[in-house]
Amino acid sequence: MKDCIRPSKRTMLFYLLPGIALYLFVFILPALMAIGLSLFKFSSIKNFTFIGLKNYMLLTRDTNVWLALKNNLFLVAVSLVGQIGIAFLLACLMTSRSAGLVNAFRTSIYFPVTLSAVVIGYVWKFVFDYNYGILAEILRALGQADAIQPWLAQSSTVMSFVCIPLIWQYVGFHLVIIMSAMTTIDKGVFEMADIDGANALQRARYITFPLIRGTLITCAMLCVSANMKVFDHIMAMTNGGPGYASNVLALYAYNVSFKQTNMGYGSTISVLILVVTTILFVLTSRLTSLGNGRAAGSLAG
Amino acid sequence: MKKRQNNGAPARALRITLVNFLPFVYAVTCIIPIVWLFITTFKSMAEFSVSTFALPKSFFNFDNYAYVLNQIHLPRAMFNTARITVIVLVLVLLLAFINGYFIARFRFKGRGLLKGLFACTLVIPIHAILVPTYILFSRIGLYNHWYSTILPMVCMELTVSIFLVTNYVQSIPREMEEAAAIDGSSFSSTLFRIILPVVKPVLVTCGIISFFHCWNEFPFSLILFSKEEYYTLSLSLMRFKGEYTTDYPRIMTTIFVSIIPALLVYIAFSKQIINGMMAGAVKG
Repeated sequence: MKDCIRPSKRTMLFYLLPGIALYLFVFILPALMAIGLSLFKFSSIKNFTFIGLKNYMLLTRDTNVWLALKNNLFLVAVSLVGQIGIAFLLACLMTSRSAGLVNAFRTSIYFPVTLSAVVIGYVWKFVFDYNYGILAEILRALGQADAIQPWLAQSSTVMSFVCIPLIWQYVGFHLVIIMSAMTTIDKGVFEMADIDGANALQRARYITFPLIRGTLITCAMLCVSANMKVFDHIMAMTNGGPGYASNVLALYAYNVSFKQTNMGYGSTISVLILVVTTILFVLTSRLTSLGNGRAAGSLAG
Repeated sequence: MKKRQNNGAPARALRITLVNFLPFVYAVTCIIPIVWLFITTFKSMAEFSVSTFALPKSFFNFDNYAYVLNQIHLPRAMFNTARITVIVLVLVLLLAFINGYFIARFRFKGRGLLKGLFACTLVIPIHAILVPTYILFSRIGLYNHWYSTILPMVCMELTVSIFLVTNYVQSIPREMEEAAAIDGSSFSSTLFRIILPVVKPVLVTCGIISFFHCWNEFPFSLILFSKEEYYTLSLSLMRFKGEYTTDYPRIMTTIFVSIIPALLVYIAFSKQIINGMMAGAVKG
């Protein structure tokens, strides 16, 4: 009986082949090519020579790479604390009994997630603008005009300001995930804690946090991978400048590949992104140990 | 319990204020920049330079809109983006429906491998494949056509959509197909006449989520389009900023017009988007 709806092998192949072919051709093939390309030196797209591991040797000596990597790691760190921290705090408040207008708040906090990185980058560039920006205007209104600086144009301040839009945009994303995990917690647990006299902080620390740990790990991993490949925001705001002060790996790989047409070395940098991301994934799941099976499961879908 | 009753009304009011204050402030910061953008679209540069914040003299000053819509870049980029978005959505929904259905319903050889294949976009960052994609597409003549970015985009979007469809189909009783088979319906006609209508709600969710990604797509456009006439919105914004850097309201109008479609879709479907997000992110 069960098999009366199962199609023949040929029908199945007919339906499944287009998807498989698409993935193999558009994703798997280029991914394999990336590793191969990193062993070549390009002078143009048609003219390249095999140079073995020389690109990788260059990588270790290239100070720009290490600066970009440092910036990436900085963004990962502040986003882990900022995005997930703020989202967790807001989620605790918004799932508590006294919360009102939850849907309205959630809808507007999620809104920035739907905007393109280029738009976000430009809008915040205006916010930080030296002459006409919102921030400058607020400081002027507060009588703090001296504090106005060209934040995005000084290497000393650029990273601390570039990270603000990145954190701000994705709080809504993590908020939605964390809130939906929180609503699955049995209300009875909180009632019992109430009876035992637990305050809000204790409830968050000893009940909510452990129970949604798996979800938080998922958020952390998504956050790590998003910030390791951050690219368009930075391109729109500073294009890596001033100098290389706000450069990140993906942007550097793009510039090396397409502006300097050194596609071999560009691919080498891409391989580095892949390696560092994988290391961070493993570290995240080790550090949070236990419950990591679930997180890996939801990532793999 | 007694303790709470003794707290009385003022304490409760304080509690409500405390709990709602932070979410309120954060929610406001999320819309302020867009409201600011909107207000500025009605200002001239002269007005803007006097005060960045002040309301415009008139909300009927459409000079900026007239200017940016008469420039060729913006309408053309919108058309290009819309055309690609429509085609990508159709392909994503069709492929997600078929693949999601097979993965959910049948235990066939290589099913696990297939699931892994569709999930690989989560593991391999797209920036790692930009250069090889560029080389591959140049070699086979897929580079720099208006449709160049379609296949890579479909690939990126399918992952989540297939996952959502799979979960959804698993909740549909098998009896539906069995009854249809007994009535003599062929496999394909059961698939498209009986299952497709049932799966429609989740396809709508997939479509909305993919819409935003398509509308905002940047990296593949950046490497696969070099002719200006093929530029999509994000790429066009990035490339043409130089042309009016001195006139802030005009740039801001360009940005605002470019997000209007996404804004409208968000306002209309925010509930579905957020629910879809929850289903996609947590159920795994």
